[in-house]
Amino acid sequence: MQTFHNIGTTTDWIVMVVYFIAIMLFGSYFGRYTKNTSDFFFGGRRFSWWLITMSIVATGVGSHSFVKYSAKGFEHGISSTMTYLNDWFFIPFFMFGWLPIIVYSKIRSIPEYFEKRFSPSARFLATILLLLYMIGYIGIGFLTLGKAVIPMLPEAFTVLGMTLPITLMGAIIVIAVITGIYITFGGQTAVIFTDLLQGFILLFAGLLLFFFGITYLGGFDMFWNLLPTEWKLPMADFNQPANFNFVGIFWQDAIAGSIGFLFMNQGLIMRFMACKNVNEGRKAAAVNILFVLPISAIVVGNAGWIGKAISVVNPDIVSPSVSPDQIFVVVANIIASPGMFGFIMAALTAALMSTVDTLINATAAIFINDVYRPVQQFVKRNVMTDRDKKELRAARYASIGVTALGVLAVLAFKNFPTVYEAHGYFHSTLTPPLVVGIFLGVFWKRFTPAAVITTFVGGVALMILGARYPGLLIAPFDHGIEMDPDHPYSYIRALYNTLVCMGAAVLVTITTQWQRNICSMIRENQNQKLIMRILVTVILLVYSVVLFNILGLTVQIASAIGVLILVPITVTYYVKYDEKVNTNGLTAGSINIARNLFKGGEPNDQEGETVFVQLKQVDGEDSVVQFSTKDMAIMKAEIGDLVYISDKRKWMGGLKSIHAVFGQPHDEEGMVYITPDQIKHGMFVDGKMLEAEKEM
Amino acid sequence: MDFTHTWLPFIYLYGLGGILFVAGIIITIKSGSFDLNRHAHKKWMWILLFGFVWYLMLHALMTWAALDIIPVYTVPIVLLGLVAIFIIVTLKLRRVGDA
Repeated sequence: MQTFHNIGTTTDWIVMVVYFIAIMLFGSYFGRYTKNTSDFFFGGRRFSWWLITMSIVATGVGSHSFVKYSAKGFEHGISSTMTYLNDWFFIPFFMFGWLPIIVYSKIRSIPEYFEKRFSPSARFLATILLLLYMIGYIGIGFLTLGKAVIPMLPEAFTVLGMTLPITLMGAIIVIAVITGIYITFGGQTAVIFTDLLQGFILLFAGLLLFFFGITYLGGFDMFWNLLPTEWKLPMADFNQPANFNFVGIFWQDAIAGSIGFLFMNQGLIMRFMACKNVNEGRKAAAVNILFVLPISAIVVGNAGWIGKAISVVNPDIVSPSVSPDQIFVVVANIIASPGMFGFIMAALTAALMSTVDTLINATAAIFINDVYRPVQQFVKRNVMTDRDKKELRAARYASIGVTALGVLAVLAFKNFPTVYEAHGYFHSTLTPPLVVGIFLGVFWKRFTPAAVITTFVGGVALMILGARYPGLLIAPFDHGIEMDPDHPYSYIRALYNTLVCMGAAVLVTITTQWQRNICSMIRENQNQKLIMRILVTVILLVYSVVLFNILGLTVQIASAIGVLILVPITVTYYVKYDEKVNTNGLTAGSINIARNLFKGGEPNDQEGETVFVQLKQVDGEDSVVQFSTKDMAIMKAEIGDLVYISDKRKWMGGLKSIHAVFGQPHDEEGMVYITPDQIKHGMFVDGKMLEAEKEM
Repeated sequence: MDFTHTWLPFIYLYGLGGILFVAGIIITIKSGSFDLNRHAHKKWMWILLFGFVWYLMLHALMTWAALDIIPVYTVPIVLLGLVAIFIIVTLKLRRVGDA
């Protein structure tokens, strides 16, 4: 396979360095809006849908990067767009299930949902799985970044007479340091605004590259006619080849990936949480998936298509044997002029950095919320006076630690032939247990702590067996896909993994009464503690058989079944769970209760209009603002309703805004009475018009 | 071209995906979180259904264009027409958003 070094000119490097300095300064400017952990992680729940949509572009396109889709575009043609165009199926579940729950329940991380909905032990296991997922995702991001910059670097450089080779891991470490510095001092507001800028730039850069490529080839007709028919089709062949087939990618991406991305990607969830309300979050999701993703599919894959067309016309310019992961850089260098190539490469690497930034920020949020705070509470060192300062500092340290772990995670993926396959394998393997846990938790009230913990423990045991014996266990679900012995069933394993986790979850839930009966019998026994200790020991032993590959397949399957039977009994015995309390406001069936809890009273759903007001500084309660009777009537607002006040200038996207509660009305029409703290928090400027709308 | 590379993936995607999509709508309506008595949610129902048809048309048009059944330029023209319909209907349905 042909690989490249030293691509690009000095001008390109100057453009790249200038671009990165500009982006970091831009991010640092908005970093000043980070005052506490809420701002650091969630941007203060204040932004408009369009700002979040563009911000998601940079994150989404970065994660589903130029590198891997150009690689698949070069190998298989326009079907590289498949993964961008299959996200709509789960959107009803997201918009009217998960999104309102995460906003109204005021959870700060996905594991926190597991504690509220199930138990602290479910939260503990969810934290482990989610941290593995997020750190793995960061590793994939760093790997892609490394593969993107390596073709531009020399094979080695000389310092003080010593020749130092440039390796993939070396490049990744340098990138990680730059990324870590930026995120550590920026926070979520900085990331959102930087991503907004980068979202526009990378869409522009990708479309510019397509335009250059088409021009280079002599027009669109020429390009289109150069591609063979199978390369023009929007979807891959149903079940071949093993490394890129429709059905495997359907289960890995459209099912596990889409639910994973929408439901358990803490980075994305935090973007939606930064929206000013649930409806804005829905708008951001709809516009992003409907219109931005199809454009992004062209943006990220076109270099591969152009590369393929050039290789058909002139294999001397682009050899069919070019390493697929390098095709983006190779094609960009051929069709773009010096300087412009630097700009495109800067946009690419900046997009990837956006993804990694978001993931690092999100993983730090999980660390603070699900590890740091519980530990602090446990050791009782939580001093309320400067808690936020301490947490903000801990968040910055966590970002550094997560960055380092992300670099280590690269080692798990770097031996896959392409980033695409590494990502596919990663998604298929790590998302199913959490996806099933979240999905059934939200949409099935009967789903119990015993079921979710068994899904995490027993489901993972069955997944390990699937990974160990793919020819026996995954093959029945392979839809005719040939098994590659080096990387068996990279994609379709998602179907097996999802089914075993779902099967464990459903079986345990529908046998809940049996588990309770058994637990009652144990409790009636004088030696109940001894019985439970024996039960836990047996679970550990049989789980070890699966985990450490002891004995043969039959014994391991029997052990996994033993885990599926014994874990729910143990959890039912130890975990206190009240279905009514634990599902209140935390399932799709109780979203109205969640809205009541969020507001602290009955929501007011009368549809009013927005009003424009000037601020008047008064002393008073910081959660309350006062409008005139007439303005409240226009908004159809009552005392105690929730209100969102923002700077009237729409282009600010809600950066200067606050949430508050309607207080007693006054008679000064067009005026809002507001406290100095609210003015400071909303960054309002006296004399500038404000826009107010009733939330609920 | 083989059926396994042309229409079988399309049927699988929109068959199975369609079942999941409809199930999502039914489940969220039955749970009460998607309330079609609220005007804003009626607007969302239109957007959801449009989205499904939008992607179905996108893939069908791209497949026809790849097979030379329609000229490739038809794809963006039809899609822009769909976008225009989307904007017009959505603006008509527009009311002050609920919380």
